[in-house]
Parts: sequence; structure tokens; C-alpha cells
Amino acid sequence: MRRNDALSKVVDGLSSLKLTLACLAVLMILVVACTLAQVNLGIHLAVERYIRSFLVWWVPEGSSLRIPIFPGGGLVGGLLLINLVLAQFRRLELSWRKAGLWIVHIGLALLFIGEFATAMLQVESNMAIEEGQTRNFSEDYRRMEVVVADATDPGFDSEVAIPDSLLRAGRELADTALPFKLIVRGYHENAVLSMRGPGDAPSGATMGVGAGMAFRPRSPATADNEQNTSIVLVEPVLPDGKSLGVYLLSNVLGAPQGFIHEGRSWKLALRLRQYRHPFSLTLKDFKHDRYPGTNIPKNFSSLVRLKDEAAGDDRDVLIFMNEPLRHGGLTFYQASFGKDDTLSVLQVVRNPAWTLPYVSCVLVSLGLLWHFGVMLRKSLGRLS
Amino acid sequence: MKLDRLQTAVFAGALALAAWPALKPEPKTDFNLAAFARVPVLEGGRVKPLDSFARNTMLAMRSKQSVPVDGKALPPARWLLDAAFKPELADTYAAFVVDDPEVLGLVRLDQGKTRYFAYWQLEPSRDEIQKQAALADEIAAPQRTRFQSAVLSLHGRLAMYERLKNTFMISGSGDPVLELAAFSSLLPSALKAFHSKKQTAADLRAMKALSDMLQRYNFIAQTAAFKAIPPKEGADADAWTNAGEAVVSPSGGEPHPSLASFAIMGRAYRAGDAAAFNAALSEHTTWLAQYRPAAARAARSEALFNKISPFTTGMALYILALLLIFAGWATRRPEVDSAARALAWAGFAVHTAGLFAHSVLQGRPPVTNLYSSAVFVGWAAVALGLFAERFHKRGFSAAGACVIGFTTLIVAHHLKSSGDTMEMMRAVLDSNFWLATHVVTITIGYSSTYLAGMLGIAWVVRRHLPLKPDPAASKALSELAYGVIAFSLFFSFIGTVLGGIWADQSWGRFWGWDPKENGALLIVLWNAFILHARWGGYARERGIMLMAIFGNIIVSLSWFGVNMLGIGLHSYGFMDKAFLWLSAFCALQLALMLLGAMPPRFWTERADA
Repeated sequence: MRRNDALSKVVDGLSSLKLTLACLAVLMILVVACTLAQVNLGIHLAVERYIRSFLVWWVPEGSSLRIPIFPGGGLVGGLLLINLVLAQFRRLELSWRKAGLWIVHIGLALLFIGEFATAMLQVESNMAIEEGQTRNFSEDYRRMEVVVADATDPGFDSEVAIPDSLLRAGRELADTALPFKLIVRGYHENAVLSMRGPGDAPSGATMGVGAGMAFRPRSPATADNEQNTSIVLVEPVLPDGKSLGVYLLSNVLGAPQGFIHEGRSWKLALRLRQYRHPFSLTLKDFKHDRYPGTNIPKNFSSLVRLKDEAAGDDRDVLIFMNEPLRHGGLTFYQASFGKDDTLSVLQVVRNPAWTLPYVSCVLVSLGLLWHFGVMLRKSLGRLS
Repeated sequence: MKLDRLQTAVFAGALALAAWPALKPEPKTDFNLAAFARVPVLEGGRVKPLDSFARNTMLAMRSKQSVPVDGKALPPARWLLDAAFKPELADTYAAFVVDDPEVLGLVRLDQGKTRYFAYWQLEPSRDEIQKQAALADEIAAPQRTRFQSAVLSLHGRLAMYERLKNTFMISGSGDPVLELAAFSSLLPSALKAFHSKKQTAADLRAMKALSDMLQRYNFIAQTAAFKAIPPKEGADADAWTNAGEAVVSPSGGEPHPSLASFAIMGRAYRAGDAAAFNAALSEHTTWLAQYRPAAARAARSEALFNKISPFTTGMALYILALLLIFAGWATRRPEVDSAARALAWAGFAVHTAGLFAHSVLQGRPPVTNLYSSAVFVGWAAVALGLFAERFHKRGFSAAGACVIGFTTLIVAHHLKSSGDTMEMMRAVLDSNFWLATHVVTITIGYSSTYLAGMLGIAWVVRRHLPLKPDPAASKALSELAYGVIAFSLFFSFIGTVLGGIWADQSWGRFWGWDPKENGALLIVLWNAFILHARWGGYARERGIMLMAIFGNIIVSLSWFGVNMLGIGLHSYGFMDKAFLWLSAFCALQLALMLLGAMPPRFWTERADA
């Protein structure tokens, strides 16, 4: 009985309207803070810090201390969702009069779940295609990967890609496809890379172009159109413990570096992470229309050939503003362009939860209409 | 509501007053200015009457639609003619507003008597302005100092004016008719000379003469402020050219007849020959009527819209209606009340007509930019307010509606100076479906939140007026406010989610937490907060009303504030005046909330009522 009392108190608290109000107020504060922070932090970092976090941390200048000072968006959103669901069953009677509110709250819950799912599951990447080119992969904006490729046979490239999340100084990376392991000797998400001048500290690389270079780590880029210059120092080591030297890899270094081991030619590189797709797009034509006599863009469109053998697709698709292509669980949007209007950049998004907001929007609209309609009728009835 | 005779008369009278600018006979001028103002040109990606171009340019240059010359306002079309054909005269008009003291220091002009300066006064510092503007241009807009923004703006306005001076002829020099004739007579011989194997001295002279002329026309082709030469018969409807392009690269065959018409107009205007000017103008309009009737019609309608200026009349009607509502409260005479109501409805009718006309002229749903959003927010608030008035006929919501209608139209009026109010939509916004659904619903959300805020203000003000306590009136206000807030929640929520869906359709993310989205979300959260506080019984009448007033701040910040992000932190440039007004508005709302939190009529001897 007693335990039930304590439990019911917690449930009471979690389902209370006071908690709803507190969460709404805190959420408003977070939204304002996130908006203002964007001026200095850029949108990505501001959202990470205030919305997609469970706590907002304060790091005093020049200290390694992190002090939580405010609940973050994840915590408040989660609480609000729990509050919504519990309140629904504890307080709201199931009646026609309240049917509108039921529908509204179900819709809202879906919206929250959708936003959580998006935060967890959504993967965004870019596909840049020049006219006439065919692509079957897209690239991440920020995340990198180390690629080790066996380039002995020029017609056949076999690759092992290691995501940047595994790159930690001192870590050993091994793969059954590789006759050696890689030891990470250093990893910097962002740095300034230059040719080594007199007085510069050595980069730590002993082989390849990196041996003649120097770098200075710096904080990761925050602006939305800025890209990190990542640097990783890797040392291939044979099973018998023999080192093949330390290589400095960076996404800004063009040509891959490599060595020959037991008659096979190996290439090493750091690049933006690539996502392979089981289908290909060929850019046939990119169009950039302007309003007559001005430079105001009227429309951007990419005519692509979609080839997907498994799905039996081989057809032309026109991707333009507000008209994306949805195929194979991915959505392709016209995002950017370049090279004198011969290069088209498509944004590629995988978001399994993309339909939830649509359903939610319909539910909440209907629910609110129902509820306020009932209220209006009541109030009109009272007046007459 | 039964209409009495007084109401009908007031309503009809007000409408007649609004239509008067269109009905009154045009003032007799020697040059046919009215017809010239209706001539269509292509500028900013769309066909518009010269009248609109002249007004918008004037607004951008001096923040007013006309320039005073000898104490009389020069009609915009007249100013345009002077600038294009008699620049030596137009250079003396005080057509540029310069506010920034540092810019005035740069151009060595006294700040004191006037903020308006003529081109000839700024001309000596032209190179320095250009140099400073080039420096400022390298700085990203939000980081610019006040001086940098001001000098960049001045440079842009001077450049616009300079382009206008070179639209038909090069700064009023030469005789355009003779030049055009010389060019067409020279062209065949020079072309022949160019292709001939043995070039004589005469050939070389002809080629040199042609090359000089081409250089002049090329200059016009590059600088002209707008394209006045309509596409030839059968050509693409967008293929307008300017007076230089039409000469340099004629689309085959005879030169365009309108070229000659404009050349004659230019010569006649310089010479003060009204008859010749009007004849050439009528030749051009006849050609238009025959070959480009759609463009001529659109330009005519837009010029008429400019002339009627329905939003100015609407503003006046709203303020009159508001004064009459106050008078009605003071005198308690029913006829004043009904006249007030008729005026408010007339204001709404004019506002509606204007909104409708603006949409039709632009060929877009009613809200496409900040200007039209102001017009629409006012319109929807008035519609809702007048509708809500039918539930509690005490004039509260009608008064609130009039205040919002008036204020938003004033705001719209000031937003006009940022350019063409019917500007073309950039690619991602080019979607009538989303403009009509997302943008319209979200702006209706703004309107109703403002209306709720106005009801809150009315409630607070009433508390402190020496009236007999009237709990029924207070209750009526708070019930109205509740209904309006519920309405707001509905529209702002739907509008916000539709915005998310649009974003999902156009760039693949439903919600990106960007400032504009956050602003919309704040309105939804706030309205939800008020309603839940009421349902939980945590806020009663006063709490609801004060929170409704706070809604005014939230909507204003989300509507205008997000456009100013970064301003006030390290820049005072763009919209700095608007920033001050916005801050003042928010401060006023806070003061009203504070007033509402005080005991009623705390300032009288009697502490409590």
C-alpha cells in the first residue's frame, strides 16, 4: 500500500498540469536561448547545446569544469511527452466532449516521437554530380572516414573504411581484410595545416607528404558553411610488430598516400564519409532560371536518370525546388549548384520518421477544430 | 445587426471618399504625365508601370514617395522624367536622405537644417563614397558598423539614380532623335566598309563613327535602370530590352518603333515641347495597346492601385472609427456607436479591396513579404475583431481591431521603403500552394494573438479608468480573449507545422530550429501555456489578460525580431530604426502588464474599488 502511495505520488506529479506549464515555460526559455546563441555559435552547435541535449552545460572560461545549469531540450521534451501520456489516462475522461483533446494530444505525442526519431535516425549527406556524371554514393557534410584501399589491381579497388568515431590516439584498428593493423597516433577534428617552416614543431609523420608539414589544432568549425580540416596520424604495423612509418592524413590533402607491402600497393586517405547506395543517378541537365532582366533565381532543377536494377527502375526524374525525389528510403533535394551551372548538388536525407509530422498535423488540426467547435457552440448557445 | 440609415450613409460616404482619387478628373498638365505614369516597363523581374518604379525608387532614395520642389511636391512621374531627360535639373532636387552623422562628415555636409541633399551636393565626394562602400561591402552584413551600412546604402541609392540618368540617353547629353537617325543611316555603310577588302579613308571614318556610337549605346545597355522597350510582335513576352540593348542587338528587322517614340519624348521634354511629347507618348501607347495589351493593362491597373492607395484611406478610416468608438463610450449615444461601427466596416472594406487588388496584381496569395504580411496581419485581426464584436457588442474588440488595423498599416507603410512591394519570389519561395497555406495560416495566428493582446490592454486600461465597476464588461473581455487565444493556438500551430512540412518538402528537414521557426514555435508554446494555465485554474481573469498582453511581445519578436538578430549586439545598420520601435513597443507592453498587476486605480485616494 505504502509503495503504491509513493508511486501514485510520482505519477501524480508527472501527470500534473503544473509540470506541463513548467515544461512549456522551460521550453520557451530554451528556444529563445537557442535562437540568440545562433548569432555566435551557428545553428548546428546552438541546437546541439540547447535542444538536442539533456542538460545545458556551462563551462567557465579557461577551465575543464562542466557545470549543468539548465535542463536541455531532450529532458524537457521527454518529460513533456511522459506528462502528456500520463495526463491523458489519469485526468482526461474518454468522452465525445473531450474527444478533440484526445486527438490533439495523440497528434502531439506523435510529433514529439517524430522529432526524437529524427534526431536519432536522420542521416544527411550531399551528392554533387556534374552534368554527364553518374554517382552511386553521397558524402557526409562533417563526418570523416579513413580509407585503406588495395590499389594493386587498377580495375578493382577494394576498400576498408574506418569511421572517425573510432579514431582515438593510441587505438589499434584491425580488419580481417588487412594484413596489417593501424595504430592511431593522433587525431584532431580541426586544425590549421601548413608546410613545415623553420621553428615549426614536427608533425609526427615519418612517411609521405605529412613528414614535411606542420599543423596546429583548433576548435571545430561552427558556422554552417565551414568545413573542418581534420588530421589523423596513423601507423601501419605488421603482425610481427614491424612499423611501416607514421602517415599524416587529412581531408584537405588531395592525392592518397601509400606504400607497397608484399607486392600489394596500399593507399591511405582521410575523406568525408561516403554512403553507398544500391542505385545510381546520372545528371543529364541542370537548369538555373532567373527572372527576366535580373539575377533573382526563379528555379533550380536537375534532370537525372535514376537506375536501380533491383527495383527495376530506369527512368528520368526532374528534381527541383519543393519537388524532391523519394527513392529507396532516401529523399533527394535540389540544394546547391556550381561550376558555371554544370554542377548540381543534391541533399540526400534518410529519415524513416518523415511521415510522422504529416500524420500529426492532420490529427492536431482535426482535434483542435473539434474541441474549439464544441466550445464555440457551447458559448453561442449560452449567448442566445 | 440591423443597418440603420445613418450607418448606411456613413458607410457609403466613407467608400466614396476612398474611391475619390480614381474618380476625380486628372489635373490638367501640359505634358501628359498621367499617361506617362501608366507606361509599362520591365524592372526587378516583372512588368510594372513607370509610376510604381518612380515611387519605389523615390521611397528608397529619400523615404518619401515624392520630392518637394519650391514647396510643392513633385509627382513621381515628373521626377522620373526630369532624372531621365533633364538630369541637370533633377541633380538640384533634394532627393537623398542622409541621416548618419559620420557619412555627413565624410561628404563634408552640415548636419543641422536638413537631412535631404541633392545629387550635386554629394557629387564632389562620389569617389570617396564609392571607396568606402567597397570597403564596407567586404564585411558581412551583420558585422557592419552603422557607418558602413549607411555609406553602403547611400552608394546604392546614388548608383540607382545614376543608372536612371542613363536609361534613355547619357545624362541628358546630345539629341536622341538625331543620334538614332544617324545610327541607322550609318549602319549599312559602316557594315559595308567593315566587310570591304580595300578600306578607303571614308570607310575608316564611317567605321570609327559607328564604333563611337556603339560605345555610347553599349553604355546605356549596361546601365539603364529599367527595360522600356517592349518585346516585338511575336517575341517572347519576357524579352523586354532597354534603350541601349534595343539599338545594339536588335532582334532582327526594323528598329523597334518605341525607340523612336522615346527618343522624341526625350527631345521634346528637354525642349519643353508638350505637344510633340504627348504625340510620341500616344504613339507608344497605341503600339502597346495593339501588340502588348496584357502588359499595358497590368501597368494601368497597378498605376490605378497606386493612385487610390487604399491602405492610406484604410488607415484614416480606422483611426476615425476608433475615435468615434471612444466618443461613443464617453457619450453613451447609440448613434455615435453605430456611426463608429459603420466607419470600422468601411475601413475593413477598403482594406479588403486593397489586399485583394494587391494579390491579383502580383498574381500571388496575399502574403509574400514583410510588407504584405503587415497588411494581412492587420486585415485578419480586423476581420476577427469585427466578427468577435458580434458576441459582445461593447465595442472592445472593434476598438482593438481598429488599433491593430491602423498600426499594421502604418508599419506596412514604413516597410514599403525597402523596395518593390510586389517583388518576385526567390526560387524556394516560388510556390503558391505553400504561400497560400503555411504563410497565410501563420499570419492569421499573428493577427489573433495581437487581437487577444489588445483585449488585454483594454481590460487593463478599464481597470484604471474612473468607471463604475462593471464585472460583466470585464468578464466579457476575458471570455473574448479566451476565445481569441484558442483561435490563435489553432492557427499558429497549424501554420507552424505546415511550415515544417514545407521545409521537409524543399530541403529535407521538418524542423531545423532556425530563428524564424523558433519564433513561430514560441507563439504556439505561449498560447498553449495560457490555455493550460486557465484550464488548471492557475491563472484567472487578470492572469489571462496580462499573459495575453505578453503575447504582443512574443508575436512582434517572432515577426520582426528574428530579422534583426545580431542587431544591437554589434551592428546598428539595417532596420536600426525598426529595432528602436520594436524595443519601445515591447517596453510599452511590459509597462501595461505592470499597470495591470497593480491594484485597480491605485493612484486614487480610494485604494480599492
